[in-house]
Amino acid sequence: MKDIPNEKFLLFKSCMVNVEYPGIESSTKYIFDKLGLDYIISPEQTCCTGLGHYSDVFDELSTTAIAARNFNLAKSLDHPNLVMLCSTCYAINKKSANILNNNDEVREKVNNIFIEAGLEDKCYNKGDTDSRENIFHVVEVLYNNRDKISDLCKYNLSDFRIATHHACHYCKVHYEDTVDGVRNPMLLDDLAEACGVDTVKWYDHKRLSCGNGFRQRFVNRDYSLEVTKEKLLSLKDENVDILLHMCPNCQIQYDRYQPVIEKQIGEKIGIYHLNVSQLIALSMGADPYTVAGIQTHSVKLEPILEKFKEIKEEGK
Amino acid sequence: MSIKSPVQNKSDIKIGVFICKCGGNISDKVDIERLKEEIDAEIIEVYTNLCSLNGRKIIRDNIISNNLDRVVIVACSPISHEKTFQDYIKPLNPYLMDMVNLREQCSWVHPDDANITDKAITLVNASIEKVKQSHAVDPILCQTPNSVAVIGAGISGISAATSLARQGYEVFLIEEKPSIGGHMAGIGKVFSPVKIAEECGLCLLNPVIKNVVENDNVNILTNTTVKSIDRRAGTFSVVLENNPRYVDSDRCISCGECEKVCPVEVPDEFNDGLSNRKAIYKPYSQAYPDTYTIDMENCKKCGACIKKCSMDAIYLEGESENVPITVGSVIIATGHELFDPGKRPEYGYSRYEDVITQSELGRIMGVNGPTKGKLEKPSNGEVPKRLVMIQCVGSRDEKPEGHKYCSKVCCMVALKNANIIKHKYPDTDIVICYTDIRTPGMYEKYYKHSQQSGIRLIRGRPGDVVKKGDNLVIRVEDTLQKKFKEIEADMVVLSTAIEPSQGTKDMAKLLNVGLTEDMFVKEAHPKIKPVTTDVKGVYVCGTAQDPKDITESIMQANAAASKVSEIMHDGIEVEPFIAEIDNEICNLCGDCIQMCKYKAMSVIDDELFIDPMSCSGCGKCLTICQHNAININGNVDEKIFATIYGMLKDKKPGERRILAFLDNIGYTAADNIGVNRVQYPDTIHIIKVISVNRVMPKHIIYALENGADGIFIGEYPGDLMYSEVERKMNNIRNDILDHNMDPERLQFARVYIPYFRGLADKFKDFDNKIQSLE
Repeated sequence: MKDIPNEKFLLFKSCMVNVEYPGIESSTKYIFDKLGLDYIISPEQTCCTGLGHYSDVFDELSTTAIAARNFNLAKSLDHPNLVMLCSTCYAINKKSANILNNNDEVREKVNNIFIEAGLEDKCYNKGDTDSRENIFHVVEVLYNNRDKISDLCKYNLSDFRIATHHACHYCKVHYEDTVDGVRNPMLLDDLAEACGVDTVKWYDHKRLSCGNGFRQRFVNRDYSLEVTKEKLLSLKDENVDILLHMCPNCQIQYDRYQPVIEKQIGEKIGIYHLNVSQLIALSMGADPYTVAGIQTHSVKLEPILEKFKEIKEEGK
Repeated sequence: MSIKSPVQNKSDIKIGVFICKCGGNISDKVDIERLKEEIDAEIIEVYTNLCSLNGRKIIRDNIISNNLDRVVIVACSPISHEKTFQDYIKPLNPYLMDMVNLREQCSWVHPDDANITDKAITLVNASIEKVKQSHAVDPILCQTPNSVAVIGAGISGISAATSLARQGYEVFLIEEKPSIGGHMAGIGKVFSPVKIAEECGLCLLNPVIKNVVENDNVNILTNTTVKSIDRRAGTFSVVLENNPRYVDSDRCISCGECEKVCPVEVPDEFNDGLSNRKAIYKPYSQAYPDTYTIDMENCKKCGACIKKCSMDAIYLEGESENVPITVGSVIIATGHELFDPGKRPEYGYSRYEDVITQSELGRIMGVNGPTKGKLEKPSNGEVPKRLVMIQCVGSRDEKPEGHKYCSKVCCMVALKNANIIKHKYPDTDIVICYTDIRTPGMYEKYYKHSQQSGIRLIRGRPGDVVKKGDNLVIRVEDTLQKKFKEIEADMVVLSTAIEPSQGTKDMAKLLNVGLTEDMFVKEAHPKIKPVTTDVKGVYVCGTAQDPKDITESIMQANAAASKVSEIMHDGIEVEPFIAEIDNEICNLCGDCIQMCKYKAMSVIDDELFIDPMSCSGCGKCLTICQHNAININGNVDEKIFATIYGMLKDKKPGERRILAFLDNIGYTAADNIGVNRVQYPDTIHIIKVISVNRVMPKHIIYALENGADGIFIGEYPGDLMYSEVERKMNNIRNDILDHNMDPERLQFARVYIPYFRGLADKFKDFDNKIQSLE
């Protein structure tokens, strides 16, 4: 398993998180603060452009140049370990780092762009950022600190039937670097276990993609939602209450489109969707609106909150 | 030009030079009379055909009547006739002779107007200087004890042991389990390469076991593991650990009364855990040795069995015994294990009872198995209505923990099991989901037969197996029809990959034998030297070497036995040009052991030991040893210096001389140039070396400083030392620069035997380059 550091993090902002579920970022910050981790957020960091790139809107050279700029920023701020809130950022930045380190021709092209723009100081040197040693997903950092998280949880969540949805771009793309299982991903399950939650370890379609497919949701909407529906129905069969996520794209697909699918099939599915950071923050006692940001969810989360507040202080 | 000889001048040595006209092949182009005048030797004789019996008489008579000390034969290539002339110069030691190649590497490769005779004179001079440095050396005879250790008593080990025993060797057949027979004992039915039918595996195995048991030359040691192995020349000192059986096999009559009263039940590994056995047990009825054993890890030591045993054969306290043996050779036949289907969680092996492996299916269908041969679902004992087989589980898999290789036998195993089921249960539908059906040779006919039996085949690798209600659902894409299918079935069988066993990996470590990237035992050269490992005297056969079926295992076992017999028969004569250690100087730092690519060095009894059978004389250890404790027999250093001196000492001003050092492969390629009459410049003078690694910077610098215009080095890329030599070249070029000379004068090239035109071109190009440097 790769080494996960515990300091000098650049918490990488995500466009989809900030636009759709800003509570994911504030929950993560809440947890990091409670854990006393050394991290910064930089206003100069730009969108990774992964979403646009995977949707065939941006070409690879541009996206790689953007990555080089962000890597340079992280290094210059002496927080070279990039920690991603979104699996798209995770996958595209790892890919870009590999390209910049191994493809001399592309690295030269990227550096020429910087030089032409009068930004020589942002040039990328081979080896500046390593895909395996400097780029992580937030969930990996949380997993690394799960014992401490265990001690900080205040609520007993064992009444909920919770299952996990692992992001494809985390598990399946750079699978040599995936932590805690590729064919049966258990990263979110083990993390949830730290909060005293016994998840549904396996269900039919556990490994199925959310169906988002970046532009597929727009260009092939029916097909995209078919895929989403498969997993939701399987979860319904298992009587799952909450589905935990690690990527805003998946969360959008399930949370925003579950009502649409329910209307299509004329059946209620009734599953609540939360990012694992939101769940952990809530479980540590964070405010549901100012920290977890549940007001931005399509499937209203107040019903589970009521259950939350009832099961207080059975403590650890 | 007169240059100083770099080695001691030995003027009192009497040398005889014998020149062969080679029926005109040499004498038509070389001016023999001028050659005779220009060289300096005690005796110079010319003859038309030196290799003939008359030639032998001339050489021998001259040696004896003139008390000659050394001989130079000026003739064709040593590759053709070295052994002949080494014999002809008796009573002189064979290593006191050198051959000058005036045919393949002189008269056949230069145009008429070239300075052929001058070159001939140079080459003969070089040879004369070289033989002055030669010493008489005797070949080393390695005798091996006439005994062999075969590790592993599956079909491969048993076959190898029987073959060796029948050839008169003493064999120790070592097996870690309580009985012999390996995987084949539990396989149920086996497929026959020629009959379109399945045969009883145990019926085929039993006579094989009987043969090895009855052969007096074989010592079978079961419940035994290998603790340590020390290798020294042709001998292996092996320490075995014999673990107690807790049942005296001489007394046990296999009545089975003890088993009835034993209170402990544990999963039966013979039936893949599908049924239970007792702590005191016999693996299967026909097991050899025919005795019970106690699994002490699970035994509760209640003593119920002791009370029941009428032969007083049971004891509950016992210790392992160390058994030392000495053998001349070791055969690794440690077999395989199967891929853990838990590593493919999507197939539900650990979740659903009715998802099983082919091995488990084999036990179920076996008449001596947990269901006495009835096809019963583990969950409820009913006959399945539809059975789906999934191929390539763990094989042809590039994802983490998968194996990229193909396990070779699973297609036939699946078809075999499918046919057995179809015969007995024609109403059970069988679907095989395959990647490719690999049934080469005669097996193709079996495949056709299977299709005709109604077995269905879908080309696609299933994604999931899930349970919906009472049934299992297999999701697969039928890639030939380009349709996604969901197959409802009530039983799934996984064809799992063959992997190297733990025993294989352990033995490789003990013996210092290399493993491939897939962790099977690595052969010295998989194409041309099968069953041989990179450690001399150690061989491998069966699935320890790679996945294969029973027939191939038997073949390989016999091959290994044959190789062992070769080294045992009369001992091995080893060329003496190997490394020698001065134990007074050696401080056992171990640097040489690490560096030796031939694994020739080890520490035995606190002394460094160099195995003459493995040492190739490459000289790497020489350069590594910081205390100069190593010396290589045969004076190669001095001989190289002397050859260079001889090549350059009479160089005239304005002449161009290029020295080309070639290994055996390169030299053969150069001969090929001659055989094909391809031409190259006469500036090229070829020097044959045992290993290119022996040509050191000091030789090259000396040559360049004393008249050589260019140095050409050719090595075969398949040589174990190739990459090291290639790296060395750059360092040598820097050395040349430090001596104020042009590094371009050193050329390194790859050589291959058939690539002789390429070599001739390289010679021409290099000569042109050197010319332009002037």
